[in-house]
Amino acid sequence: MDSMDMNHSLPFDADPIQPAAAAATGRRPDSPQFTDDPMLDRLYGVTLALITELAVTRTRLDTVEKLLARRELVAGEEIEGFTPDDSEAAARSRLQSEYLERVLRSLD
Amino acid sequence: MSYPAPWHTIGRHALLPAAEHDEMARFDIVAHLNARVAQRLAPKVREAYESRVLNAWWMRHGHEPADRHEVAAAMKQDPTYRAFSLVRRNTMEIRQHAGRTLVAREAERLRSAAQAANKGAATLRLDPTLDLPRYVTAVDTHLMQGGYTAERIADDVANAANYDAGMYATIGGSGGPWNDAAGRALVAWLKRHHPRFSPRCIVDLGCGLGHNTLPLREAFPDAEIIAVDVAAPMLRYGHARARARGFDDVQFLQADATATPLADSSADLVFSTMVLHETSRQALPKIFAEAHRLLRAGGLTLHLEQPPYRGLPAFEQFMRDWDGRFNNEPFWSALHETDCAALLAKSGFGSANVFESRCTAPPLGQPANSDEQHEDFGRAPAWYAVGAWQAAKGIAANG
Repeated sequence: MDSMDMNHSLPFDADPIQPAAAAATGRRPDSPQFTDDPMLDRLYGVTLALITELAVTRTRLDTVEKLLARRELVAGEEIEGFTPDDSEAAARSRLQSEYLERVLRSLD
Repeated sequence: MSYPAPWHTIGRHALLPAAEHDEMARFDIVAHLNARVAQRLAPKVREAYESRVLNAWWMRHGHEPADRHEVAAAMKQDPTYRAFSLVRRNTMEIRQHAGRTLVAREAERLRSAAQAANKGAATLRLDPTLDLPRYVTAVDTHLMQGGYTAERIADDVANAANYDAGMYATIGGSGGPWNDAAGRALVAWLKRHHPRFSPRCIVDLGCGLGHNTLPLREAFPDAEIIAVDVAAPMLRYGHARARARGFDDVQFLQADATATPLADSSADLVFSTMVLHETSRQALPKIFAEAHRLLRAGGLTLHLEQPPYRGLPAFEQFMRDWDGRFNNEPFWSALHETDCAALLAKSGFGSANVFESRCTAPPLGQPANSDEQHEDFGRAPAWYAVGAWQAAKGIAANG
């Protein structure tokens, strides 16, 4: 029963992968290492999470586009043929540049 | 190429966590990642083994890897296997995190819904004094944090809800909308091989949240059905879920499958689905002995599992071992090396009454979710079955 009692102290969204959670439950930290470099394992973890979240974002965008199309507010061709005006284009360029700053920061 | 069923096609009931848009999208990409791992990456691992790894092992040792342990040693450094494992493990972690954050948001609503459904019901019998087996409490099975027994709030059902919702993503809906393919496979096997078998009392050992119990209710409407598990959260959720689906008379009983409070010779069918590999070397023979104790003469015990390793090529054994190594199933490998038929025979049934078979879930007329061309190494809706008929008590069967 002791392990059940200890579970009470854990938040619902605690991560079983993190040693802190493993310690709190008295369970062994069980994250296996598949490569020779633990950083590479972590990089895979981050990459898979990014793949997942990008898919979530694309799905959400797809939902918005389909809703707009259903209500005949924006047709799919309008999105494909969209050309930003000058100020929109400038704002978008800034977004894109800032995005690369963020994701490539560690290569600087 | 077939696609996994999207999460929104899951069977809806009052206890199901209400996933929002992104939560569903997350489950959907998890299902796709798992399908990809099984259909695209696993064949690449085989290719790597056959084209590179096997040769290198030959050169060094002068023979093929003799068993799955040698295959594991040979494959350990292989980049294809490593990438396969990293994607598979991370997908499972992401699936668990997705389910965990979903039920965290819903925990109190789900608890209230379960409390309302369970209040005063004689069909839910919990035993707060039950000693929980260490093989259940010591491991976060399938990486589910806290495992089956975790209770973070009184009357908690969160992990059961996570299991219910997330399993649909893990297996891409291949268990049907109610995640009950093993139960349906068991019923189909009985109807096909023993159409006149009509059990009056059915016991499901290790029922979890009762996914695979309910098809038995549909198949045998007059039978008494007792679903047994050690985990109170699973039983609370399972009982409420059954009621929400209109199954009011299935009993959910908190007890250890090695020593239930049920009477000797009281059951006609004692079964389990994908449970034995989550027990232990010590518990397994006791579970079989308990089935023998519970069964009346002419009764049947039947256990659905992944197939034993015996007779499988070493490489396939190694691939099937993945869940044991990396999905927190510590008894997985040992179970699949155990001769369950022999163990049943020794548990009182006698070897003449023991049999092995294979069960497959009948198609549901919904989109096919598993590609039969590709071996899914443990997640396809087909099972190995091992069972035994109960002869008259005290008489070891001699055929």
